[in-house]
Amino acid sequence: MKLLSIMRRDKWAAVCFTFLSAVIAAGIFAPWFAPHPPEEVHMELRFAGASWTYWLGNDHLGRCVLSRLIYGIRPSVLWVLAALSASVAIGAFAGFAAGYFRGKTDVLLMRLCDVMLSFPGYVMTLAVIGIMGPGLEHILIAFVLMKWAWFARIIRTSVLQYSNSDYVRFSKMLGLPGVSIMIRHLLPVTLPDILVVSSSSFGSMILQISGFSFLGLGIQAPNAEWGMMLNEARSVMFSKPELMLAPGIAIVLVVSAVNFLSDSFQRMLDPRLMSSRPIRLKQGFSISTRLKEREVA
Amino acid sequence: MTKKTIYLLTLAALAIMLLAACSANSTNSGGATFNGSYSPQNASSSGADPAGSAANESTHPAAQELTYATAKDINDINPHLYAGSIPATGMVFESLVENTKDGIKPLLAESWDISPDGKSYTFHLRKGVTFHDGAPFNAEAVKKNIEAVQANAAKHAWIKLSAKIAAIHALDEHTVQLDLTEAYYPALLELAMTRPYAFISPNDFKNGGTRDGVTGYNGTGPYRLVEHKTDQYAVFEANESYWGEAPHLSKITAKVLPAGETTLLALKKGEVNFIFTDDRGADSIDVQAMNQLAEDQNYQIVRSQAMNTKIIAANSSKSDSPVAEKAVREALWQSIDRETISMDIFSGTELPAESLFSSNVNYADIGLGKREYNPEAAIRLLEEAGWKSDSRSGIRSKNGRALSVKLYYDAASPSQKTQAEFIQSTAKTAGIGLELVGEESSSLAKRRATGDYELLFNQTWGLAYDPQSTISAFTAESSYLHTTKGIHQADELYGKINEVMVSKDEQSRQALYREILTIVHDEAVFIPLTNGIVTIIAPKDLKHISFKQTQYELPFEKMGFQ
Repeated sequence: MKLLSIMRRDKWAAVCFTFLSAVIAAGIFAPWFAPHPPEEVHMELRFAGASWTYWLGNDHLGRCVLSRLIYGIRPSVLWVLAALSASVAIGAFAGFAAGYFRGKTDVLLMRLCDVMLSFPGYVMTLAVIGIMGPGLEHILIAFVLMKWAWFARIIRTSVLQYSNSDYVRFSKMLGLPGVSIMIRHLLPVTLPDILVVSSSSFGSMILQISGFSFLGLGIQAPNAEWGMMLNEARSVMFSKPELMLAPGIAIVLVVSAVNFLSDSFQRMLDPRLMSSRPIRLKQGFSISTRLKEREVA
Repeated sequence: MTKKTIYLLTLAALAIMLLAACSANSTNSGGATFNGSYSPQNASSSGADPAGSAANESTHPAAQELTYATAKDINDINPHLYAGSIPATGMVFESLVENTKDGIKPLLAESWDISPDGKSYTFHLRKGVTFHDGAPFNAEAVKKNIEAVQANAAKHAWIKLSAKIAAIHALDEHTVQLDLTEAYYPALLELAMTRPYAFISPNDFKNGGTRDGVTGYNGTGPYRLVEHKTDQYAVFEANESYWGEAPHLSKITAKVLPAGETTLLALKKGEVNFIFTDDRGADSIDVQAMNQLAEDQNYQIVRSQAMNTKIIAANSSKSDSPVAEKAVREALWQSIDRETISMDIFSGTELPAESLFSSNVNYADIGLGKREYNPEAAIRLLEEAGWKSDSRSGIRSKNGRALSVKLYYDAASPSQKTQAEFIQSTAKTAGIGLELVGEESSSLAKRRATGDYELLFNQTWGLAYDPQSTISAFTAESSYLHTTKGIHQADELYGKINEVMVSKDEQSRQALYREILTIVHDEAVFIPLTNGIVTIIAPKDLKHISFKQTQYELPFEKMGFQ
């Protein structure tokens, strides 16, 4: 509901949201949207330009670029979304446990987070690939393993602010079990924070997975992926530069849309604009923005 | 509103620029992570370093200087070990004899006699030859060098000669006698190789030998190494006191650059002015981009005759893999459309190959049966072997095991990736599922040596090494032992290989090679693709560009600007 009201107030967010929904839908229903099978090789159409049958032309094996772009949504966007959900779920679990129970649980979990966060994400992902070999699933596993700590941190901060509020204390007094307090009373108020942090890292994860595929460490041929399509176009970048455009623009558009949307969320959910929440929440956001900047760099 | 539009447009432009910058950088960082040998200094503009200034001068024809791009550092060019870059080793060091198009020719040995039993070789050395450090090249130096190589015999097991040298005697100042334990016909061919039987000044020996490294690189060759900055560049200058015709090019610089587009850009800018198929150098550049460069700028493209055969090696000894089965290998052979690979992927520069060695290789013109591209025949073979098709996945299976095989290719070679993807698509129509794995070339070499692969892109070693060395390598673990071990006549094959190497007369040799080549052809363990060539991109006014009998070296000493 809140989402809808945001959309109503911010047209730009509505555009981005619609665009992303369309992209995700196209990815899920790729077989219906794609005009050709993405792996169908036509050597005689190698590097053919745009035509009515092949709207965006053909690649180095004569495969339909448009179809590959549409099928590429699956690893580039959908699987990233899945990995993001998984790591947010783990992070939320740890964050709630740490923020609600405090004490030893908190210390233990937060030190574990410290350890996880002290490794640069890229290096750890490369290490995981080095051990398990290249492949999309391995990068996704590495993402889930590395990112949860960051989410746990932020969610914990958010939970801490509410776990001392009167209604939570009252629920505790009534003898409600911890789990149901967390689900009933804490989850709804922390959800906006979770939404902001996870949407802001969604964009950087899309970029990272495309980057790894560009290096040949991600998804393996013949599956389509945007980063890999860019890499394939790279070897002919001086003779057929136009091949870089389609996947490049796709990445730029999706990542920009995600970032604009996440900015809108952040603006809309800013505590200064919401009377029901205390001002000191601002601190939590400044942490999240700082981390976001580091993440993108 | 307009303000916002401008803002967005600027943002979009910035994003595109950032993306472009990222892509160039990520190529480098990939190299850095996996080679371990790449240093970031390479990427810096080369205005200040000597190689850079050399490059700028060398675009000027009168300078007689050449700068070539190499993907890997020249490394330790000790000719008695294998770490160094072969073209660089070949410029600095020489062997007793040379393998040319017309057979074995004199190099450091002016002439030689072979005893009637084929067990003793007497070499009459060239007089007046000195190493770069002034030390005389004489019988004593030859003896010391060969003994230094033999002291490290295990390292040279791939060269059968290393196991057959019994003794070496310096008869007088310019005569040496090499005694073998038994007659070995490829002895001169193996002595002609760039390594290990090449000569380095005995003054450079460390601990009386070369196995622990050397203190300098003084050979007898036309060029001497004057400067080497690891992972940046190496400078070679002409050897003024060279015994042969003085080289025209006074200075050659090997500059380390990541293969592919970086090299192409460096050529465009004149940072380098020469590249060749070394570590995929010219191979990793798109043929069209290369032609465009030659058209627009002052460059020429020179291509050699067919040098080797590009193959897919099937690991017959991996018994849990479908490729251990002959029918699968044959079916794969027949589901590769070599004509299309040759015409569309290589733009006709490389011709289709139908057997492990093309007919211009010695002893290989024996008319082996062709296995043409024929998907129906492949399907028939698989059906007969009991691989039943599964209509759902399209991949055949037998006894619950899917016909899915891993094919390893060099991730730095776009042409290999394209071929792999193309083969994958045609093999799928026959029901063979290929899983493509792109890896670093050193990791591929390791897989070949340990047998941890199913199918692997590879190539034969070139005219100077084919067929004898490549065939010897069937028995060497570091090369093709795993490829050949699983075929059922393997012991017979290895027996014949040992026999052919010591055979004394031409006729039995021909017969044995015929049998050996027929066995590996019938078993389809080496699936040929195309005949590889060496491609050179050089300044238009560079004359006398020629090739050696191997894809690993070039006769730089013959080239020169007019």
